[in-house]
Amino acid sequence: MKKLLFLAIFLRLAVSAFLFHPDIKTYNFQASFLRKGVVNIYSYLTANKANLPLKDEFVYFPLTYFVLGGYQATVSGVLGSGFDSWLNDAGASSVVNNPNIFKYLVVLKFPFLVLDILIAFVLLKYFKDKEKGEKAFTLWLFNPFTILIIYAFSNIDIFSVLLTLVAFLFIKREKLLQASVFLGIASCFKLYPLLFIPFLFLKGKNLKEKLVVSFIPVLILVIVILPFWSPAFVQSAFISGLTTRIFNPGFSIGFSESIIIGLFLLSGLFFYGWLFDKKINLFNYWIIFLFLIFSFSHFHIAWLLWIAPFLVILAVKIPSLSLPLFLLTTLAMVIPFFYQDRSMTISLFRIYTTWYNLLPTPFTVLQKLYDPYNFMSILHSALAGGALIVGYKIFKEEEKQ
Amino acid sequence: MKKMIWFTTISILFVLFIVPGIMASAIKMIPAGDQPGYGPRRLSIYGIGELSQKFISKEKNLTAIGTTVKNPNLKNKKEVILNLYDANNNLIRKSILNGFNIGDGDFVKFVFEVVPDSLDKEYSFTLSSPTAAADEIIEVFLIDGPANGIIEYTFGEETHEGGIPLVTFHKPDSQWEVIRGVYSNWLSKLLS
Repeated sequence: MKKLLFLAIFLRLAVSAFLFHPDIKTYNFQASFLRKGVVNIYSYLTANKANLPLKDEFVYFPLTYFVLGGYQATVSGVLGSGFDSWLNDAGASSVVNNPNIFKYLVVLKFPFLVLDILIAFVLLKYFKDKEKGEKAFTLWLFNPFTILIIYAFSNIDIFSVLLTLVAFLFIKREKLLQASVFLGIASCFKLYPLLFIPFLFLKGKNLKEKLVVSFIPVLILVIVILPFWSPAFVQSAFISGLTTRIFNPGFSIGFSESIIIGLFLLSGLFFYGWLFDKKINLFNYWIIFLFLIFSFSHFHIAWLLWIAPFLVILAVKIPSLSLPLFLLTTLAMVIPFFYQDRSMTISLFRIYTTWYNLLPTPFTVLQKLYDPYNFMSILHSALAGGALIVGYKIFKEEEKQ
Repeated sequence: MKKMIWFTTISILFVLFIVPGIMASAIKMIPAGDQPGYGPRRLSIYGIGELSQKFISKEKNLTAIGTTVKNPNLKNKKEVILNLYDANNNLIRKSILNGFNIGDGDFVKFVFEVVPDSLDKEYSFTLSSPTAAADEIIEVFLIDGPANGIIEYTFGEETHEGGIPLVTFHKPDSQWEVIRGVYSNWLSKLLS
């Protein structure tokens, strides 16, 4: 076990040091203002936009700002005196040519490593059967998908993912109250765990419990975001890519009204659970709900982490699904590879050399042979079809038990 | 599980150590350096108004010149011509792009046939869009101060030091040279 852990950490540190996504610099530049005493980052960035070297808005929730800023303050001695000038450097080449970049990346991604390893241990504890727990532990540590999603893309969603997984550990032990607290804290980093509240409501034993477990996550979120509520906060963090993408209109039903596919399916799943399922297994609903999101929305590669630990659990619970899940995960990873966004592919390697600026993206290369949008649609359709059948299989397996 | 451990280890090591080499093998030309910084000052080019720029090629096998070009409102859909001259003012290369393919603020490369013995030699080029009207201008930026190899520019019969933030590109002798360059750059940074 120790040897495996050592190898897993080595692989993660190597990816941390050598692959660079610009998001890590952007959100750390923003979080660095906590060290200077800025509490409300949203209004500060809006007010000082003209004078700042990086103009991006802080798109994350307040807890992310305080955790990242607090961590930076703790490790500022390790990062050294040149760190602030690196954060303030807006030059595309000088940033990756900085000789300290390896140190900066490893130190800044270190919290991800801690959370990542914690997820592995939560998975180990998730199963009563020791063998299954160890299988989940190993599968989490040794799959290239999560290593790349977390460390290459500097995926901050890992905070929410760990907390959501802990919530499910409580759900498994029938402790809905504790689960709802963890879902609430998770949503203070990223909003998506809140989408699970309708299913938590269904699981409540009586009306009182239903209302309490639904209310607690919202209350926690409101307490955290209320002090920051302002047009700047709403614009930069609240109306995020998630809400706009998941709730994108699907097809028109006339007179400017349309059916929002994501919401339509979420609602369908909720009513199915309410009207047909006598013994709701929340794990199944969560994973199928995430399948629906990835099947019917233009997702960011970072979002795939939301489902990753649950796929590991699923693969251990139903071994016959391992290969289909591996195939579907590969499909889901390949789709963003063809987005017309350099930082999804070529730019990740700019630490090796800035000569890669001269290379075309996979999108541009494919464009010479075939319509890349059509190609992505083919992949996405295959993903959606496969995910739906796996979802059906999960329900069928549940019926057998 | 053993298979998955091997698969993961090999995949990650492949991404980190082999993929950079594969990507390097697709690089057809190498920049001689980074693009110099530039300020808001710009020159408008259209009709008979052309820019003339003197520079020194820092590498052999000069094959392209790149700079940032503005095409306001994407109105220029005419020919944009770069003529390359040697030190004796002989036209040696010509590169023509269509304004249709130039976005507003794009880094644009004018590619031409390789000039083999270009190392440390002085050249000049003119940049023009002769058939463009006054509302179809393209604009180039000016660097803030002197930059290595960018000598002087002439515009509207006036000559000044410095010029546009240009980058010269050079054809490598072989792809191995590029691959070696990528790994040695990475290792030197890692070991510094």
